[in-house]
Parts: sequence; C-alpha cells; structure tokens
Amino acid sequence: MSEAALFPRARIPYGTWGSSYFPAWQTSALAEVNIGQFSGEAMARILGLRGVPKSELDYLVLGSTVPWHWKFWTAPMVSSIMGHRIPGFHVEQACATGLQAVLMGAATVEAQSHDTVGVLTFDRTSDSPVGVFPERRSYERTQAIADVWDNFGFDPATGNAMIAAAGITARKYGLDRTETDEIAHLRHQQYFEAKDRGFLDRLMVPLNVLTVQGRPLGTVDDDAGVRQVSMGLLRSQRELDTCVTSGTQTHASDGMSCLLVTTEERARELSPRPEISIRFLGKAEARAEPSLMPEAPGIAVNRLLDRLGMDMDDVAVAKNHNPFAVNDAVFKRQTGYDWENLNRTGCSLVWGHPQGPTLTRSLIEGLEEAVERGGGNVLLFGCAAGDVGIAALFQVS
Amino acid sequence: MTAPTETAVKALRQPTLETLGLGTVLEIFKHGKLPVDAASQVEAVFGPEEDRGSMVISGASGIVGAGKTMQFASRLEPYGVRLVALDFPGAPDGIGAKYDGLVRSFGREGADRIMSSIVRLAYDGRTLPAELRGLKPRFLLEAIPEILAIKRAHYGLFRQAFPELEIRSVTSGFPARELGVGVAHPAFPHEINKVFETVEDEPSEVTRLLWSLGLIPLPVSDDWSFILDVLFCGITLAALRYHRATNMPYWKIDKYVRRLVGPNPFRAHDAIGAKGADFLTWSCLHHLSEEYGELFTPTPELVERKDTGQDWYPPNHFRPVVDWGMGPEEEAAFDAWILGPLFQMTSLMLHERRGHLTHMNAIGELCAQFRKGILALMRQHGPDGVRQTVERYHRLFPAAAGSAWHPEAVSDMSTPEWQQLYVNAEHDGRVGVVTLARESYNWDVDAELNRALDWLRNEGIERIVVTGDFHISTQMVGADTGEFFAAMEDLESGLAITRGWSRTARRLHDDFLVSVAFVPGKRCLGGMLELLMHCHYLVAVEDARFGWPEVTLPVVPGMEACHWPLRRADEEGRRRILEMLLTGRPVKAADALGWLVDGAGPMDDALQEAWRLASETSPGAENRPVAEGPLEGIADAVPPLPVADSPLVEEGRRAIMACVTGACGTSAAEALEVQARQAAEFLAGAACRNGAVGAEFVKTIRI
Repeated sequence: MSEAALFPRARIPYGTWGSSYFPAWQTSALAEVNIGQFSGEAMARILGLRGVPKSELDYLVLGSTVPWHWKFWTAPMVSSIMGHRIPGFHVEQACATGLQAVLMGAATVEAQSHDTVGVLTFDRTSDSPVGVFPERRSYERTQAIADVWDNFGFDPATGNAMIAAAGITARKYGLDRTETDEIAHLRHQQYFEAKDRGFLDRLMVPLNVLTVQGRPLGTVDDDAGVRQVSMGLLRSQRELDTCVTSGTQTHASDGMSCLLVTTEERARELSPRPEISIRFLGKAEARAEPSLMPEAPGIAVNRLLDRLGMDMDDVAVAKNHNPFAVNDAVFKRQTGYDWENLNRTGCSLVWGHPQGPTLTRSLIEGLEEAVERGGGNVLLFGCAAGDVGIAALFQVS
Repeated sequence: MTAPTETAVKALRQPTLETLGLGTVLEIFKHGKLPVDAASQVEAVFGPEEDRGSMVISGASGIVGAGKTMQFASRLEPYGVRLVALDFPGAPDGIGAKYDGLVRSFGREGADRIMSSIVRLAYDGRTLPAELRGLKPRFLLEAIPEILAIKRAHYGLFRQAFPELEIRSVTSGFPARELGVGVAHPAFPHEINKVFETVEDEPSEVTRLLWSLGLIPLPVSDDWSFILDVLFCGITLAALRYHRATNMPYWKIDKYVRRLVGPNPFRAHDAIGAKGADFLTWSCLHHLSEEYGELFTPTPELVERKDTGQDWYPPNHFRPVVDWGMGPEEEAAFDAWILGPLFQMTSLMLHERRGHLTHMNAIGELCAQFRKGILALMRQHGPDGVRQTVERYHRLFPAAAGSAWHPEAVSDMSTPEWQQLYVNAEHDGRVGVVTLARESYNWDVDAELNRALDWLRNEGIERIVVTGDFHISTQMVGADTGEFFAAMEDLESGLAITRGWSRTARRLHDDFLVSVAFVPGKRCLGGMLELLMHCHYLVAVEDARFGWPEVTLPVVPGMEACHWPLRRADEEGRRRILEMLLTGRPVKAADALGWLVDGAGPMDDALQEAWRLASETSPGAENRPVAEGPLEGIADAVPPLPVADSPLVEEGRRAIMACVTGACGTSAAEALEVQARQAAEFLAGAACRNGAVGAEFVKTIRI
C-alpha cells in the first residue's frame, strides 16, 4: 500500500466548508436567482460562519456546468461578488465538475502559485438557458438547445440519452429491478437517518434569498422535493428503462457548495480543528464504452486503487454520485464492495443533481463522516456525461 | 454644580455660546437683542457697504466647494457680498449643477439673484486671476484637495497677493498648526448642513459671522482630524473591521450599524461620492494612525478604494441575493466591534479635551446621522459599560489595545458637563433660562430637562424662560420618532413616553410661578410645541411656524395637545387648534396670537417681551388660564376639513378626534392619563405601523 500523496503540498482545512441545500428544480427561491451571484454571496456567508475572513483567499476555482448570466466573467466576477477581488478560473466537466474543481484547487496549491484557494461549485438547473447555435453546415441550419434537458436526452457521441445508458448498463450486468429498488430505498433511509441525527447541520447552511427590492423571497433550508419512499412505492413505479424508474434515478436540483484547499500551514491556521489533516492521495479518470456510463466510475476506482496499491478495505468512507441506482449495483459487481456501505449519510440519488456542486457536497459529507469515525481514507467517485468516471482518494487523519 | 460665566449669570454648565465669545443665553434676554447681528458681522469681515469685499471659495466646483458656495452666496447676497468661485479651467461644473436645487429653495428669481452674485473664475493653480484684485477678497474658504503641500502653497499664493486676507480651510484632517491657517470644517450635505468645526485661538469675527448668518460654528481643538471625522471615519473603520472579521457585506453592516447607532457609513460614502469620500476617510485614518497607532489603521479595503473610488454598495444589477442575519451572540460581538472602537476613540478625544462636551456630542447627531450623541450613548452605558465594551473589542482586535485608550476619561460621568449634554439652565438669581440644544425631544432631553428644572428650583428660581440654545438647535421639530420604535411593539413603552413626557411638560406649568416659552424662529412642531405650550406664556419670533403634523404620520399627539391648548383657548381658538391637529397644517406665530401664542414680533421685540413677561409679570397674571373641568361642545368646534390625503390620515384624524373628545371630556387632572393611553395605544396599533413611523421602524429595526 502506497500513501504517497497526489498533491503533497495541498490540504483541505477541516470545517471551513459548507453547502446550500439542494432544492429540486423549480421548487425554491433558487429558481429565481443568478446562481453565480447567489453562490458568491453564499460562499462569503459560509466562510463567515466558519470564521474564515474571505480576505484570506488568494485564488478562486469555480465549477459549474449550466450557463448563467455573465458566466463570461467567471471566477473574477464571482470573487468580486464575494467582496474580495482575486483571480481565478472556471472548470467544467459535467457531473465530475464538483470533484475536478477541488482537484484543480489542489493542483494550484501544489504549483505554489497560491496558498489559499477557494473552490466554489454551483448550478441552477431550474429555468436552464436555451442556447441558439447557428450551424451553417448543419441541415437544420440553426439549433436551439435547452441546456439541461436537451443534453440529458442526447449524447452527441452515441446518440443515446443518459437514461438509456443506465438501461444498457443494467442489461449488460444482468441487474434485477428488485436490487435497484432496494438500493434506492436504503439510500433514502440513509439520508433521513443522517438528517435526523443532525449530521447535515454540520455542513449545510440555510440561506435566505432576497428579492430585488431586498425583501424576503424565500429560505433555502431543506433539500426540497426529497421525501421518504416506501418499497411499495418504489416497486409500483413504471420502469422507464431497465432498472430505471423515477424512484431509482436522481432529479434535477439547484445549489452550491464550497470548500478551501490550502497549504498545510494555512490549513492549520484556518481550520477550527487544526489537528485534523486532510490530504489528497490520488485520482483517476476513465471512460467506459459507449452508453455504459454507470460502469465508468468503477473502472476509475479500480484504476486508482491499483495505482495506490490499495483495495476497498483501505477505504473508511465511500461516497459516490449515483444518478441511477444502477450505478451502485454495477459498482458492487466491479469491486465486490457492498452497496450498503456506500453513502451512509446520503447521496445525489436522493438529494438531487445540480451537476456542478454534486460531488463537492458528496466530498464534504464524506470528509465530515470520516472525521466522525476518527479518520481514514475517503473514496469519492462518480460518473459524468460522456461515459466518464472519476475517482479520488483523500486521507483524513 | 456651577460653572463660571463672564457675567453674574450662574449656569448649570458652561453655555456653549460662551465658546464663541457670545455670552450666555440669559444675557440675550436681558439685553433684549442678539449679541451680534449679520449686518455688523458682514461689515466686520467684508468691510463697509461702500468698500465691500468678497468671499473667495477655492476648489469651488468640488463637492464641498460647490455646496459651500451655494450656502454662503444665498446668505451673503442680501448684504452685497460677491462670492468668487475659483477652480481649474477643466473642473466639472459643480456650481451650475446646484441651480435646480436653488430654484427649489428660493424660487427662480431668488436662484437667479444668488447665482448672479457668484463670480466664477478659473485659474491654473500657480497664479491668481487678475480680476480677483478688483473683487477685493477679504475671506478665503479653501476647499482644495487634502494634500498638505498643495494647500500650503495655495495659502502662500493668496497671502502674497492679499496679506490681510482671512483664510479658513475646510480640511477634515489637517490641524491648523500644520496648515498655517484657521479651520472651518463643514459637514455634509454641504448645501444645507450648518455645522462648521472651527479651529482658532480665540473666537474670531469670521466665526461670529457664521453664527450671525444662522450657521453653527463649533470650536474644537487643533488636533489631527476633527471630532466629526474621528466619529465618521471611526465608525466606517469599525464597520470595515467587522466586515473583515465576518465577511458580512457592506450593505448589511450598514443596516446593523444604523440600528445600533444611526449612521450608514458605507451608503454615506457612496452618496457623497465614493472616490472623494473614500480618499478623505483614508486620509483622516492614515494620519490618525500615524499619530495614535493601530486603533485608526485603515483596512486594505479602504486603501484599495481610496484609489479606485469603487462604490461600497453593489451595482443595481447585483442587488444582494443572500440575506445575512445574526443570533444573540453575534449581535453582542457586533456591538463590541462597532461601539468598542467608537468609545475608545471618544476616550481619546475626551482625554485631549477636543471640545465642549455638548459640541462633541452634537457633532455626531448633526453631521453623521448618530441617533444619539456619542457621549449620550456612552453615558447610557456608564463608565463600567464603556470600559467593558472597549475591553471586549480589544479581545476581538488586540492591535487596538496598544494605544489611544484612556479609560480615566470616562470615569466620572456624574458631572454637569456629562449630565447636561442637551439641556442647560442659567439664572441671575431671579429668572432662569432653560435652553434646549436638541431639535427633537427624546428620553435624554426629558431626563436632562427634569434635572435642569430641579436645579433651578433648588436654586430658588420661580420664573423661567424655556427656549432653544441659540447655537446648536436652530429649530424645534418635535418628538424624536426613533423613540417610538419600542412603543410600536410594547404598549408599556408607549405609555412610559406619553405619561412621562407629559408629566415633564406639566412641570413647566405647575412648578414655577411664571414660565415663558420662547421660540426664536423657524418652526416649533409636534412634541416640542406640546412641551412649550405648557408654559404660562408662549412668545415667538413673528414668522416662526407652529404645527402638529402628527396626523400625517399618523400618530396621536402624546403630550396633551389633544386637550391642553383647547383648555386655554376661546371658541375661535379651539376651532383653529382642531384644524391644526386634524390637518397637520402649521400656522405662523403672528397668526396664532391670543389662542396659542401670547406674543410675536421681530427678534428683538420678541426677546424683550419674553423677558418682560418672565421678569415682571405678577403672580397669577396668566392670560390664558387652563380650564380645569370638562370642556363642552368640543365636537361642534371641528371646522370643515379638506378631504384626507390618504386612508391613514383619515384614520389618524379619527383617532385624534377620539382622543380630543375623551381628554376634553374629563378634568385636566385626569386628561393626562386619557391622552397618554390613547396615544400609546395608537402607537402600538396597525395604522401607526402602516404609516411613516412604521416604515422608519421597519427600515431601522426590522432588518
């Protein structure tokens, strides 16, 4: 087993992170805001609550996937909204964005260009913009694409929808609907158990949203749209593709998440618990064969663990982005890892899929869970558009 | 509890007029005239009419220069004094931009006349324009950028050409000893704010000219940055430090600062013009920090903005999305972050004896939006509370603990100077004068007024005049509606106001053989009129206006306006009083003779009449006695009223009329409680919450 760190200079300061709740699309005040502006203001608020002056930041990595108003200005503009003019850039790779942004932050620290990097990921799937693309060589001449739903429905590389990829993968692995229903049922139980015992309160931050007149528009203080599901309900749902029902797939949502990546010294200065060290051990990315997206994360995980000389027994906390319950069932087939051990505090199958911040929230949850368990390695992985899988391993000690 | 005065007058504390070399208020009444008048002061500064010189304002196109050009031109034009507005050829037209405002204030004809009195000259900064000599400059008010070397060179240029020229700088930061000229530091907004912090060895003719023109010169000591800027820049710095510690955005900090003490420091900078204002604030803090240490060190945000001039508030297209709140612990920390440095800075100013305590207290209120003067606020906390707040701040920001903290300066708040910040009393052994140095009535004024009345009674004084202070308070606008906020949520708080303040007002009638209220001009409204109407006599300058605008807010007058003046008026007077109460329309003093006012005339005549009544009237000579029993037929006295402007006004009318009926329907002795309860209940009701006071309450408290 190798413990050589991927970015030896980089740390994540414990407890300086936070996330908005992820209300389902069109269910909250987040449907009304410029999500870039909201997220910049929310990050300043979260850092303030964590006792971190925003003036400590010297760089900002943004991650988002759905175009937003004034996106052209990316990180510099959002940092201005935070009230702290620093440089930065924007990274995007569909649902891998939330992890890629963190890794980019670590790479920035490792490069010694900056010591305190803010990582801010967000997306608003509600009212997603429509892009108009003049394509002079296309027989359609001009195409208009609704960014979220039209892309979900059509992978230009394969011609298939996301949901079709889940069905194809389920058939490849011979999955049974009973198993995916059970996975979805457990995932909801895990989420509500974590919520009920106050676990989410440690990382989720209720945020009050204002109208343009400065009056209350709404409070984002819950993963709106998430509710308890019974096995009976899950079993009664219509199968949209093999092992895919509305209950065994995620839903679109809105939200933001943020954390810091710093040097070891800065992490000690900024964290409320400087004795906790969070390091980056490694990362891997993989691309599955066409329309087999749910198996891509497992490929990436196996590749990562192989490289590090580890196996799943070395993992204390495993969290993934699982837009389909199929993902977790396939992961078991690929690694032998019991899906009951995955996502013990919730996951995107339950609280939704705002794309950019999904894996950032998962990471925060995973790190917090590891601290709760007294440390250990945190494995984070997930799939992304293009049949991509991403995985990274963090060490909490 | 005495302080020495220039005459045989005994005073509770030193009258602020004495700091201008203008004697006491009691002497004004005794002499039957003001100590100096504008015509003679214009002559003293600008020369006789046949050889009248001019006033020069350099940097006249800037924010300060243009504002002051308007203020002085409008006041000096009647005396034939030309205003020379001097600036660079390429300076933006700050003066022309003021024309519309002048038209609004003086009408087109008046505005044209004032503008015509202004001579606009351009110069290159190195040589004075040749035409200047023909205009005979006698007084230069310098309003050029805050760069010491440039200012000194500027004075040298003028002194070489006009050795006798009086020069004052509007600087907000440099001491006179560094500049080499006196200081007349004005407050924003410059067109209308009358306050000037003045620095000079002795009160000069220029300072007395300001006073005679209706302005408010407040002598302060010659230290780096004057009181206003220590307070204003200080609270800005406090807010910036809180921002750095918590990330709370400026706009939200502004709201919390406003709720805590009154000002919106960031909004104020943007409103003044962020580029200039940020530089001035930085400049003051920078020099203060060099003199006094870390307590004043500007934060990096301010250092950046002094160069960029970027607004503190977000632009319209980024109006805030995420709200910020605070829990009790955070609010306690916020109080320490804001009040701690303010108290510490004030301890420094007290230690350095930067000015009369009443001046120091008033400057924050008159010039920096403080709801309560800084010393009144510290007095409310008490010496231990002040020290604890500063020490708590030092735990949050240890760098401030190393310098400029003078806890001994706040150790004794029991002196009259601390206790009588707003209300003073003087007497000559027979007649006393109570002076109010605050334009609106609040709990501080109430407590100080009671102490002043107690002092006079203990001194054996039975005859009093109650009036303004002829200095800081230039009008009497009524009750401080900020005091109503607690009453909007709690009936008992409202009752405390309406009962307590009414009892104080009754003392003016009950505790003295003769009491004369004197209104020296402009206006006397609302609660202030309710207070003064309790005196046996009410005398005013003839064009002073009286009114009860409460119905327009709406509130029900709480200090007995709904019955007391009616008990002292004849049938026609009652009709006029009800018209005032139910429409909010004011009347001129001269038009209220016999039913509300007992004497009105030009200033000197009115002063003499007030003194005659106070000093000569025989006991029992009250000319409008109070009807002690129930009044008959009050409802029939209501005149035809115009249609109310809004449903709220209509509701206000109904409530006021109900209060009139109830309070007049009983004895004068019992009416106080009837009025107090109805007024307090209205304050706690929906109509008040939906009106102007409620809007202010929401804006200030419900943030």
